[in-house]
Amino acid sequence: MEAKNLSVYQNFIVANSLYWMEFEGSFTPPALPGQFMHVKIDNLFLRRPFSIAKCKNNRIGILYKVIGEGTEILSRKKKGDSLSVIGPLGNGYPLNADWKNICLAGGGTGIAPLLFLSDRLSGKDANITFLCGAKSRKDIAFRVLPCGIESLFSTEDGSYGRSGLLDGILKDFIRKSEKLDVIYGGGPAGLLKKIAAISNAMDIPAFVSLENRMACGTGICYGCVTKIWVGNGWEYKRICREGPVFDTREIRWD
Amino acid sequence: MGLKNLGVKLGGLSLRSPVIMVSGIFSYGEVNLDYLDYRKLGAIVTKTVSLNPREGNPQPRIWETPAGMLNSIGLQNPGIRTFVRKNLPSIRRDGVKIIVSIMGQEAGEISRIMELLRREEKIDAVELNLSCPNVNRNEPMVSQSPRMTALFVETARKSCGKMPLIIKLSPSVTDITEIASAAEDAGADVLSLINTVRAISVDVENRRIMEGGLSGSAIKPVGLHAVYEVYRRTKIPLIGMGGITTGRDAVEYMLAGASAVGVGSGFFSNPLLVDDIYHELTGFLQKNGMGKLSEATGLLNEKEKTNGDSRARKGKV
Repeated sequence: MEAKNLSVYQNFIVANSLYWMEFEGSFTPPALPGQFMHVKIDNLFLRRPFSIAKCKNNRIGILYKVIGEGTEILSRKKKGDSLSVIGPLGNGYPLNADWKNICLAGGGTGIAPLLFLSDRLSGKDANITFLCGAKSRKDIAFRVLPCGIESLFSTEDGSYGRSGLLDGILKDFIRKSEKLDVIYGGGPAGLLKKIAAISNAMDIPAFVSLENRMACGTGICYGCVTKIWVGNGWEYKRICREGPVFDTREIRWD
Repeated sequence: MGLKNLGVKLGGLSLRSPVIMVSGIFSYGEVNLDYLDYRKLGAIVTKTVSLNPREGNPQPRIWETPAGMLNSIGLQNPGIRTFVRKNLPSIRRDGVKIIVSIMGQEAGEISRIMELLRREEKIDAVELNLSCPNVNRNEPMVSQSPRMTALFVETARKSCGKMPLIIKLSPSVTDITEIASAAEDAGADVLSLINTVRAISVDVENRRIMEGGLSGSAIKPVGLHAVYEVYRRTKIPLIGMGGITTGRDAVEYMLAGASAVGVGSGFFSNPLLVDDIYHELTGFLQKNGMGKLSEATGLLNEKEKTNGDSRARKGKV
């Protein structure tokens, strides 16, 4: 990982409270889909972790929702502003060349790491479907994905795509698919838990990116832990270090 | 400008740099951070280890506050046996001294832990954590009582052999000098001042509180005050910590009476904090024509106190 200042290249609203920010630059070693970066925002004491949503052609992108003081300040950053970042951090989604039928399922800003993953997978010899869930039509960040992969939408109020939660279209999609090798997920814990239950019932491997408040972001403070099955019991593992991507079978959901 | 100017001695412990990664913010020293310049680091203190494994506290463990943060990790650790077998061998050394932080629910546990630690050659010193605010919240911390502090320190002293013994104290007390003196009299070699401050935040939406230990810039004046007062009342070296986020903060701690300084949660926001402190201290020595860092310890131009307080520090040179 590196600690350095990156210059904002662009920062604009893409949907209701959702922003897309790109920095000029790249990371050494290069970021992998699923990894995150830890961003210092003005005088706030703690950095804020963001999934890397793009890392290509000397640009690093994040997708974020304005939910508090930090993201509010972030939304006002302009081209040329400099931000201190640490990245890339954590582990990416496991990839396997034998997985030819792939489903990406993300809700809200949880689609961020999947955008990066979809870009990495596009052009490969695989069938890729992107399932995207949002509260409402106005909360959808991208109706057409930057990588051009086919996507299906669900909204909770039915204003765009299928009505209901994302697990509904995931179940339908699996039922219609002849074969599915892997599911990659991102989003709020409630959604990820549902993805885990579906993957378990259908016996399809699934890997999801967990979120939490973080202090260090690098595995040294043990602030962001989650319960992970170990042997016959469970232990608190660090989302920033052992994750943020976990096999859904490892996660103990409360 | 060179390393030897910044070398310090803490009792029997020689450090090439006064900058120490404090307990709880550097895991067990096994994590490689590419941006951290180890050459500017004197010692690392491990996350606190207990006799038996502890799973730690449930979420949330982290809460941001104005100019700081609350943490409630709850001393999650694998227990001393697993630590010695698995964590200790993986600690990166590179000339950095290894200080193992330990805690005991009762004094007897300290002896049992020391049994397992004192023959480990890789360990340079032990820090006894008597001040974690996140365990047994219904009971006082050991370092809130001079009597209990003395009991734990005596036990550690008897069982640690020649290993330098550092005692970490809480600022959440009426008079920290009383506790510090009790620790000194019971055989402490060095004191770490301060642990996090017991505090809460109130979550209005959920009408719940988050209990934890406050760290960050918000507590720097509290830490400085503790170091300043304890320096004048004890003879043993002090490691000053609490809210250091810049090189200048470290200079302030040295002047208040610290012999070395600890980097805590300030490292999360400033990944180059160790470099910043190193350069600021080097610059301070040059600017003031000092040959070595120990000359800066406690070097305040103090006016005679006019409020009738005539406490004088005991025998400091």
